[in-house]
Formats: sequence, structure tokens, C-alpha cells
Amino acid sequence: MTTKKKILKIALILIGVGILIGGSVGYYMFNKPARDVQNTKTDFSYNASEIINEYLTDSQMANDKYLAENGESKVLEITGIASEISEDFNNQKVILLKAEGDKAGVSCTFTPETNANTQNIKIGDKITIKGVIRSGASFDEDLEMYENVIIEKSDIVSNK
Amino acid sequence: MKKTTILSILTVVVISLTSITASAQKLVSSTTHFKFYSTTPAEDIEANNYKAVGTIETSTGDLVFSVPMQSFEFEKALMQEHFNSKKFLDTKANPKAKLVGKITDISKVNFTKDGSYPVNVTGNLTINGVTNAINEKATISVKSGKISLMSKLNVTLADYEVAFKKGKPSTNIAKTVEVTVHANY
Repeated sequence: MTTKKKILKIALILIGVGILIGGSVGYYMFNKPARDVQNTKTDFSYNASEIINEYLTDSQMANDKYLAENGESKVLEITGIASEISEDFNNQKVILLKAEGDKAGVSCTFTPETNANTQNIKIGDKITIKGVIRSGASFDEDLEMYENVIIEKSDIVSNK
Repeated sequence: MKKTTILSILTVVVISLTSITASAQKLVSSTTHFKFYSTTPAEDIEANNYKAVGTIETSTGDLVFSVPMQSFEFEKALMQEHFNSKKFLDTKANPKAKLVGKITDISKVNFTKDGSYPVNVTGNLTINGVTNAINEKATISVKSGKISLMSKLNVTLADYEVAFKKGKPSTNIAKTVEVTVHANY
């Protein structure tokens, strides 16, 4: 009798703990915060021209290499010349890294947290930006123009 | 005398050529906002994308948008993962959605005069690698030389083979979602 009670007690405790752990894991998963790109290890570092050439040579292969199925694509560090500085509808800074003579560039969007770090950047500066790739460069026949590589969640790595 | 005639003819030719090029102008927009909004009794879901690129050919009304799908940002990371996954929008295989259309009544728009011009857009929308014909309304605004476009379209997910057959997504994601478009040219 007492052993049965003991087993029942232990089983109840175990079930309770299980529900608690399962519940908190589920709750955590559901409310999982967005990936912190800046605290994620950099997968590849390139000059702007290098990744543009890679995409213009074989975009399919480049997509396979850089894009992730769950949207958490590769984290890149891109070095290039700031050729355009603008702001998007979400008041985020956008810096286009594009070498003279290149058909496309790398369009890097910052965040409300990193916007201020672009303050001292001027057109013509050589800078390195870290961020997550969203899509590659290609010539679009309908737009009749080259599309840029898109990087978001950016921050400045170096500004020399 | 002959020289002046030739010169004046040349001047006329040059002026008319210039005006032709001016009217066949391609407007390019990289300042855009695409908002995806789904509402069900269970919950409202919103995602925002600021990285689309678009063009309008003012002479013909040709309208194009290219939307990088991985740039849609959701409040919840898990939703964003679902959205990108193979089961739903498969953004690795189809990184871009595309609208290739025509503003059928572009002649109504005076790009040099301030105003708000309601227009019709017909064309093809490709999402998840599936193309469907669309016919939507949009508004082109002209204000001190700045041109913008706004539109709201309803996208039925099943038309693009985005199907949520079971589980939470099937009850929490609307069958038809609203996509709001805003572009500055």
C-alpha cells in the first residue's frame, strides 16, 4: 500500500515536472525572439564585388550556398565603397556598397539600434558591414535593371 | 537662308526627340513598404518588408515589383520560420515574389500636376513560384514632383499553393491575406 502510494506520488511529481518543462519549452518556442544577427558568428567575408560576381555567374548556386530554408540565412561581412546613403519607410538607414564599374551593389539596411553608427559614414568611404543576406543580385528582365544583393540587420564592423 | 532652314529643322527634331525621351520615362522605386496582414478570430499576424524594388514606365503604364521574400519580418521568430519554410512559401527555392502588370488607364495620370489619381492594374503576380492573373486598384499620387503609389490587394493563399491543412497555422492564418503596397519613386 505504502509502496503503491509512493510510486503514485513520484509518478505525479514526474508528470507535473514534465508538464512544466514541456509548457515552458513550448512557451519559449512560441515567443522565441528574432535571431540576433550581430551576435551570430560571421559565415563569410567578402568584398562587395566578389559576392556580386558570384551571384551574376550562377545565382542558383549562390542561393543554395547563402539562403536558409527557415529564413535564417548566412551572416556576411561585406567590405566596399559607400556609394549611396538613404533611409527607408521604417526610418532605417540604407547604405549601398558598390564598386565603380560593377553592375550591381550590396544594399545594407540598418536597424533602429544600429542607425546611429552610420552617422559619420560619407559617400566614398570604404567600410565593412555585417548583416544577414536576404536575396542575391541578378539582372531582372521585367525591371530591365540589375537588382542588388540585400543585407539586413546591419551594423558597421569597421570604418577606415 | 538654306542654313537657317536646316538649323531650324534640326532644332525642331532635337526638341521633339528630347520630349519623346522625357515622356518615355522609367520611374524606379527602392523606397517601398509591403505589409502582409492576416486576421482570424485566433490572432492577427502582420509582417513588414522594406526591400522591394519597383518600376513604372510612365508612357506605357508598365508596372513591375520584385519582392525579396526573406525580408518579411514578423513579430514572432517562429512565425517567420514557418513563413519561409518549404511547407509554406519556400523562400530558399523562390527568393522573390514578382508583380508584372500594366496600369491600364495610365493616360489619366498627369505626372507633372499634383493630385491623387485612382488607376487600375492588371497583370501577373508570382508568389511561391505560382503565377496568377490579378486585377487591382491602386492610387498614384503626385506631390511637388514626387510620385508615389499605394495599393491594397487581397491574396488568397491557396491560389499560390500555400496551404495550411492542419495544425495551428490552419486556424490562425487567414485564407485570404491583405497585402498593402506603398512605393516612393
